[in-house]
Amino acid sequence: MVKFVKVIPIATKVGTVTIKYPYAKPLVTDSFRGAIEVNPSKCTGCGACTRICPPKALSMSIEGETAILRYFIGRCIFCGMCADVCPEKAIKITKEFELASEQVFDLYVDVEHEVVTCKRCGSKFVTSRLLNKVEQKLEEFPKELLYLCPRCRRIEMLSKQTYLR
Amino acid sequence: MESLSTSSEFENLYSYLKRFSDRLVEEEDNLRIVVESEKLREVAEVLSKTEGVFLRTIAASDERSVNGFYKMYYVFGIDKIHRNIVIEVPVDSSDPVVPSITDIVKAADWYEKEAHDLMGIKFSGRTLYKFVLPDDWPDNVYPLRKDYTVQDLVKLYRPEIVTKAKEVEAEAAIIIPIGPYHPALHEPEYFELYVRGEKVVDARYVGFMVHRGIEKLAESMKYDQVPFLAERICGICGFVHSCSYCQAVEKALKIPIPERAEYIRSIVLEIERIHSHLLWLGVAFHLLGYDTGFMHIWRIREQVMILAELLTGSRKTYGLNIIGGVRRDIDRDKAKKCLQVLDNIEKEFKNFVDAAINVPQIKSRLRRTGLLPKSEATSLSLVGPTVRGSGIPRDIRKDYPYAAYKYIDFKPVVRSECDNMARTEVRIYEIFQSIELVKNFLDRIPEGDIAVDSWEPEPYKFGIGAVEAPRGEVIHIVITGRYSPYRWRARAPTYQNLPAIPIMLRDIELADAPITIASIDPCFSCTDRALIIDISSNNVKSVPLNILSLKSSKLFR
Amino acid sequence: MEVQRQTNLETFSSKDLEKALQRIKKSIWVFHLNTGSCNGCDIEILDVLTPWFDVERFGIKLVASPRHADVVLLTGPITIKTLPRLVKALRAVPRPRLVLAIGSCAVGGNIWFNSYATLGGFPNIIDKLDELGIIIDKVVYVPGCPARPEAIIYGVAVMLNLIKQKSHYKKVKT
Repeated sequence: MVKFVKVIPIATKVGTVTIKYPYAKPLVTDSFRGAIEVNPSKCTGCGACTRICPPKALSMSIEGETAILRYFIGRCIFCGMCADVCPEKAIKITKEFELASEQVFDLYVDVEHEVVTCKRCGSKFVTSRLLNKVEQKLEEFPKELLYLCPRCRRIEMLSKQTYLR
Repeated sequence: MESLSTSSEFENLYSYLKRFSDRLVEEEDNLRIVVESEKLREVAEVLSKTEGVFLRTIAASDERSVNGFYKMYYVFGIDKIHRNIVIEVPVDSSDPVVPSITDIVKAADWYEKEAHDLMGIKFSGRTLYKFVLPDDWPDNVYPLRKDYTVQDLVKLYRPEIVTKAKEVEAEAAIIIPIGPYHPALHEPEYFELYVRGEKVVDARYVGFMVHRGIEKLAESMKYDQVPFLAERICGICGFVHSCSYCQAVEKALKIPIPERAEYIRSIVLEIERIHSHLLWLGVAFHLLGYDTGFMHIWRIREQVMILAELLTGSRKTYGLNIIGGVRRDIDRDKAKKCLQVLDNIEKEFKNFVDAAINVPQIKSRLRRTGLLPKSEATSLSLVGPTVRGSGIPRDIRKDYPYAAYKYIDFKPVVRSECDNMARTEVRIYEIFQSIELVKNFLDRIPEGDIAVDSWEPEPYKFGIGAVEAPRGEVIHIVITGRYSPYRWRARAPTYQNLPAIPIMLRDIELADAPITIASIDPCFSCTDRALIIDISSNNVKSVPLNILSLKSSKLFR
Repeated sequence: MEVQRQTNLETFSSKDLEKALQRIKKSIWVFHLNTGSCNGCDIEILDVLTPWFDVERFGIKLVASPRHADVVLLTGPITIKTLPRLVKALRAVPRPRLVLAIGSCAVGGNIWFNSYATLGGFPNIIDKLDELGIIIDKVVYVPGCPARPEAIIYGVAVMLNLIKQKSHYKKVKT
């Protein structure tokens, strides 16, 4: 009947378990996934991460003369799929979780890329880094076709007889 | 595993169904029959009279672009032989009407209301009102139809902030903020309890405030993004939804996932069960006024959260699943740590729960309250510990085995007293059982890959995935499309269990209402506020539920 | 898409806000408001009260009514059905109205930021609330899915001006 009094010795034996954060270090394990960090020297602006990101926290847009990869920490779900998918391994998962901010504006991180202009129609269609990378991989590709946007490239190939064998 | 056609008990059923319709397809787990809507009631009658057949879920699908009509899928399950019977009813696209089967199969009630709200299918023989969507949603706009994209719907309706209350037409009601007395678990739902004096006479439930349009959203996302969406259906038992979705797609496309991945999924599923039951126990103690119990149980539970973070990368919403396997492995160090933590928890929990369950308040308030008779539980096809506390041994891990449960043997925990104490005991013993299961899995886990290398999507394949969540059965139906699911139906266990609450609340003391509602472990816990409508004196007052609950505890001082 | 700074409205001057924040540094009472979240952040909020993090050592306590609250802990992407009730609850909070938007749902709308059934997070309704006369004096956004208990404590510290936030807008060129 008086079994419930057993709680008292249990409590005394356990003592205090409190982790006195912020005066002590928080309990973060090795596998924890916090905010991501994009390495600007490796990123080519391919956009693979923007396609896999479930909440679209990573987005790519062309504004003016540059392309911007925008990372919105506020919508990030910290799943780490972008790091898995990046072909250049430019995304690192840090252990940062102290992200509170008074302005939504401060939760954005932008990575700016230079863009290439299409020689025929003038539209900006790809980042210069990605174009260089593709150029390196395709050794036998005619240079005139490289600096055209996909639409113009199709038109060019179909109109010039030399490309049709 | 016997097939429907050869099992002796269900032989009659099979020959009847065969005579009924010639469009019958027998797949590995499912028997799919196409039945015209005029004959639906007859089939439902026969299925409901056969013992051992339970309604699992109903889904409506817009297949006008593929086949030219809508389709209703009724999934009945036969636990004993691990088979589903899927009744497919084509519905005319110009005038979608289906006969209602709610009077024959009581469990179909909510599904019909939802199909009407979201797909616009009318059910003859019953009146329907707005259930999932808000009252001022425009008429004739049905979100799940393929006519609308998500952006179209956003343009069609944005809520107005009305400055006056519309829900309760009684001036005695104070302005009701969504003030949960217990902040953690409350999704904003509320119950209206009709009382006569101190006894509860009836209850009405108003909910669906957490409807976020997930099923529609998944139709515009890719296959590998949907597990993350599914995980956030519920923050307490999210991993079961993501596993269930992955299983449904893997079954539909016949993707053979490696055995090691199945074991890892099962281990994390059991860890989630431990954390969820401990959470529930703490909340139950708090509802009964025993805050010491709450604090101690949550102290013990914290170790499970840290373990989950070590194994998967995040305390909750693990992000571990992709179609075809898992993303992270459990290496030897992690497995060792896991066993250490589980041993610790088992010792501490055993010690504590021994003392806590013998507290006089707890024992007398849990015994003989909230009775759920076995017959009602069967007719409503309830699931989970709710039904296992009433003597019916339904457990998806045994009835429709999946993942690594196919390779081991265990007995589901069952109690027959049908009261709140029975359901509590089922959960306590399930914690011990889960710890044993994890140890067993870690022992037998084979070497190998953790995911398939690649897989190809094929459109218009049908798959059902079911998992035993801490609260009951979670069942997902997926019809695949070219790059994203064509139709995804996710059904959580609380959806199936909620209609049982008015039955359990009849004729009980008002102070026992909170713990009774909480005993089905609603995935949004026991409401924030209760509106008490006293029929005899025509009085309406709103009272925070913890005050309500403590009234009875005071009698024991 | 332009990213712009929000400006605080001036009916409660910043000096008054400073004084009010000093006052509540002693014992802050919080009220939890769930506008349709999955419950992940909600159980982390409750976890902050339990022995491992024990926020009661700072005097923080959960109250049952918004009229007693100093800070409102808001979770959830604000679904269309909860909007009227949210407005009623916030109206009942006395000035200064301080809101801690916890979790990626409340900050940016999470995966369903453009769904038909949600409003996409707290930043999208601040203007609507202003129109109705419900002025929010200070908001602090705590990202995370779910937000760790330590991140919530950090957020409270930023709210009370005990720490300067670490997040700042960054633009890097490649």
